[in-house]
Amino acid sequence: MKDLLRLARLVIPYWKPMALGVLIAFATLVANVGLMAVSGWFIAAMALAGLAGVTMNYFSPAALIRTFAIVRTVGRYGERLVTHEATFRLLSGLRVWFYEHLEPLAPARLQQYRSGDLLSRIRADIDTLDNLYLRILVPVAVALLGAVAVGVFLAWYHPSLALVNLAFLTIAGVVVPFVLQRLGRRPGRALVETNASLQAGAVDALQGMSELLVYGAGERQAVQIRRASGELIAAQAQMSRLSGLAQASLGLGANLTAWTMALVAIPLLGSGVLERPELAMVVLFALASFEVVMPLPQAFQMLGQTLGAARRIFEIVDARPQAPDPAAASPVPSHHGIALQDVTFSYGPGAPPALQGITLEVASGRRVAVVGATGSGKSTLLNLLLRFWDPQDGRILFGDHDLRSYRGDDLRRHFAVVSQATHLFTSTLRENLRVANPLASEAALAAALDVAQLHDFVASQPDGLDTWVGEAGLRLSGGQARRVAIARALLKDAPVLLLDEPTEGLDAETERQLMRALFRLMEGRSVLLITHRLVGLEAMDEILLLDRGRIVERGTHVELLAAGGLYAGMHARLHD
Amino acid sequence: MQLNADVPNNDTTAPAPGRWLSGQRHLAGAALNLAVGLGLAGGFLLIWQAWLLARVVNAAVVEGTPLDSLWHWLWPLLGVFALRAVVAWASEQVAFRAAAQVKLALRDRLYRHLQALGPVYLHGERSGELSSLLVDGVEKLEAYYARFLPHMAITALVPLAILAFVFPLDWVSGLVMLLTAPLIPLFMILIGKGAERLNQKQWRQLARMSAHFLDVIQGLTTLKLFNASRREAQVIAAVSDAHRKSTMAVLRVAFLSSLVLEFFSTVSIAVVAVLIGFRLLFGEMAFFQGFFVLLLAPEFYLPLRQMGTHYHARMEAIASAERLIEVLETPTPKPPATPVAPPAAGPFAITFDAVAFDYPGGRRALAGTSFHIAAGETVALVGPSGSGKSTTINLLLGFLQPGSGQVRVDGIDLTYMERDAWLRHVAWVPQRPRLFHGSVRDNIRLGRPEAGHDEVERAARLAQAHGFITQLPQGYDTPVGEGGQGLSGGQVQRIALARAFLKDAPLVVLDEPTASLDAESEALVQAALERLAEGRTLLVVAHRLATVRKADRILVLDEGRVVQDGDHDALMAAGGLYARLTAAYRGTEVQP
Repeated sequence: MKDLLRLARLVIPYWKPMALGVLIAFATLVANVGLMAVSGWFIAAMALAGLAGVTMNYFSPAALIRTFAIVRTVGRYGERLVTHEATFRLLSGLRVWFYEHLEPLAPARLQQYRSGDLLSRIRADIDTLDNLYLRILVPVAVALLGAVAVGVFLAWYHPSLALVNLAFLTIAGVVVPFVLQRLGRRPGRALVETNASLQAGAVDALQGMSELLVYGAGERQAVQIRRASGELIAAQAQMSRLSGLAQASLGLGANLTAWTMALVAIPLLGSGVLERPELAMVVLFALASFEVVMPLPQAFQMLGQTLGAARRIFEIVDARPQAPDPAAASPVPSHHGIALQDVTFSYGPGAPPALQGITLEVASGRRVAVVGATGSGKSTLLNLLLRFWDPQDGRILFGDHDLRSYRGDDLRRHFAVVSQATHLFTSTLRENLRVANPLASEAALAAALDVAQLHDFVASQPDGLDTWVGEAGLRLSGGQARRVAIARALLKDAPVLLLDEPTEGLDAETERQLMRALFRLMEGRSVLLITHRLVGLEAMDEILLLDRGRIVERGTHVELLAAGGLYAGMHARLHD
Repeated sequence: MQLNADVPNNDTTAPAPGRWLSGQRHLAGAALNLAVGLGLAGGFLLIWQAWLLARVVNAAVVEGTPLDSLWHWLWPLLGVFALRAVVAWASEQVAFRAAAQVKLALRDRLYRHLQALGPVYLHGERSGELSSLLVDGVEKLEAYYARFLPHMAITALVPLAILAFVFPLDWVSGLVMLLTAPLIPLFMILIGKGAERLNQKQWRQLARMSAHFLDVIQGLTTLKLFNASRREAQVIAAVSDAHRKSTMAVLRVAFLSSLVLEFFSTVSIAVVAVLIGFRLLFGEMAFFQGFFVLLLAPEFYLPLRQMGTHYHARMEAIASAERLIEVLETPTPKPPATPVAPPAAGPFAITFDAVAFDYPGGRRALAGTSFHIAAGETVALVGPSGSGKSTTINLLLGFLQPGSGQVRVDGIDLTYMERDAWLRHVAWVPQRPRLFHGSVRDNIRLGRPEAGHDEVERAARLAQAHGFITQLPQGYDTPVGEGGQGLSGGQVQRIALARAFLKDAPLVVLDEPTASLDAESEALVQAALERLAEGRTLLVVAHRLATVRKADRILVLDEGRVVQDGDHDALMAAGGLYARLTAAYRGTEVQP
């Protein structure tokens, strides 16, 4: 119920077109029921007049029938147009709203979700919400208005007619939907879940196909996809049974109403309460009146599915970022130096500490390298500096202010990052570079390409900077992708440079060339280089050796070699 | 039955989507015919109900019969109501079943086809778009089989049944119905033409939106680093707004067509009613006949009117079927006509004999590459980026077929082997291994799901992965997901190595096996690899000196050709590309 109210509140900015839609829908409903009722009466009256051999005024009922017919057809068109337009505007707004809540959660809070799953939330789940607005909100409002109109009209003839008709409408419009909603809750949730799991399974299967094939798991994955597909269809089958039930009970309800109304109306004929032609009117009116509740059972049956989708959306929207932004404005850093003071961090309660009592300083304009094996805590260091996570203990200072006092955006404005995981968007090379700076001029782009040594490559492409890259475009090699990252960092032109394994996975020749580009990039910036490769470390002001979350050695390249510790050992192995 | 209402397509290469959809009907089995049968039964019940109801009203209105004398019509009415409810429920079930069977079969076929096309094809396509085709695209076919097909038959049959009852009673009304009925589908088809185009546009728009969202979600951290993630909200707004507009464009046409249909049927009913009314007034017709026909008139036009809705469903299915056909018609690499079994036991000797390969678009990846790897040999493949290493691997794994030349295993041309049969003998660790949804254990057991814990642990120990796995919150049962989130690149790499150890295949292909390992672990993994190499043929794409030096032989690739071939010392002595690469690796030339 809480979720439902919350969903309903989202519609408030769009209440005007929605209300207009409800009004048009109501007019359409009145016209439709009226058309049936007047036609029935008209035929019966004509017949009786014919039998009696008298004439009658057929102009007024004929005009009424014409009016009803026009209102009915045009009204339905107008109502659909208005409510659909408003709903899709709403959904479009909700997608942005969802994204704005999703964005602060990355990457810390989103680790547990598969991207296929997040995709189905922002796309399919939000689309599912149209059910609430188009099939629940509007029809319920119309049904309430319609029930009042039906009651008033029939009561004008005889209260018992109104009572019978309203009783049946209540059963069909309240009891049946309520029961269906209860029955539909579980399959509805299952539907959303099975759909998401099929979606995620499909992304897994398609993106990881090579490995699945080599490891002979292709057939197993096919079976798994088939099973997920079967589970989705099983959930749909349950829903289909219910919607069959809804359809059958509505038809039955309408017929029973007409039948019961006939039982009530026939004794009233000729008693002065009802004229004889009015029996035809009452029977057809009763049949047509069911249009008031026609959409409700189906809509409420889908409520489970809608709420399931809503919950999955709210789950993301309500999640608190791992490192929440402070309320106050960010401080202005007095310099571009970083200091870690006795920092301890673990990724979760019970998880082993990733960093323990780390103290280090990167003074403004200095270059510091952190060297360590995989899992020694190097990447964690970066995650903390970028404020994707906050440390449990100790402080991190940037420009003499605690990192926690900066808003994430303001902090990251000062940092440029070159990492091994550079995402290339499916777009042109130009757009991929402009991620770093949307206002970058052509000259700035060219300069960045030059330093990153991408210039020749771009020149060799027929479309130049407009070459399509990323998943659907040209696939760049590892070295080229890394160069794009360097060019992005140049375009961002931030005072602090964070390098996370910038040459990881590259061949030695490429690595050497890339280091040259990196040294150009380092000029005049504070640099923190995180690596396990002992390349280019001679140029660092300080080297820290990280082992299982602790700093075990520190000094310059020359000092560390002389000390004959772990670092010297690593270096020796490389040059034996 | 008018099931083939599809307009033939001019495109001769691929089957017309409408015909194709109709061609998949057999997948639904008997359910479709049953749905039509139930629809027709419902039609007859409806006529019976109208007859009984007209009897009751006629008796009460015209003859003034009291309620007590009407029960012989009122009771059967209740029975008809109940029967109609049962038929309505059953129709829904049967129609759903028909569509469900088609969807299951097609989704399975599509996935298997994608699998047969192989990973190289998928790289060129957007996996976001394809996965949405696999899920939503197939889903969209539902309306075609569950609604459109059965309904087309019912649309033809039920009005005919009604006419059969109306004509003997009132030929005037029958004639009006008969003459006006064909106008409705005619107008619908006219409008439908334009809508079909819009619908295809709409489907492409949806696919594009999916692909864009997936791209953004996967690149969110990168966007964040550049403070571009907030800006992206505007792009999301623009993309979903474009989606709204194209959806509305389709719907507007759909609404318009139902407006037209409704208008025509309303006018037609009015004509029937007016003609009946005046004949009643002039005493030329009995009330019972008139009322009976009037009750049936809306029911006569109802299926025709609903055609608009169902035709819309068909168009949605057609748009999605187009993409399905496009993928399904992409020819898969032909399996050998008379497959040769791979050699029974390893280690294998591998021969590349003047292998050339061009990517579509003409980029030359391999230009007549020849080399030989003896059985049991450990060979390192080195070369700058773009020198053809990945292509070599894809050819060896059977994901690509050589444009010319041969890849031979123990003298047998690889193209004569079935891909899956061949891959059973290969273990592979790619550059960026992928972890699948499941536990660490499941991921190690990828190639041998039946492996026991001891074997898994042994493989993990060999891959230097046991240590960090036991430190994970749930050890081997720790769930891991797409991209191995929560694990470092090196840890993912070692889980992938454990996979290879567990598979125990006679040929092992490793793409940078020691990437993201520090020098110390690299030495440990190196030792493990040497153990793995025993009795196996090992091809290592390597950039690491330690790996390369232990290799029996090194192949140096440059611009799609083997330019150097020999062991470390020989190649160092020879100078050339290898010596340059090695010098660069040691960092001696890197100076700020």
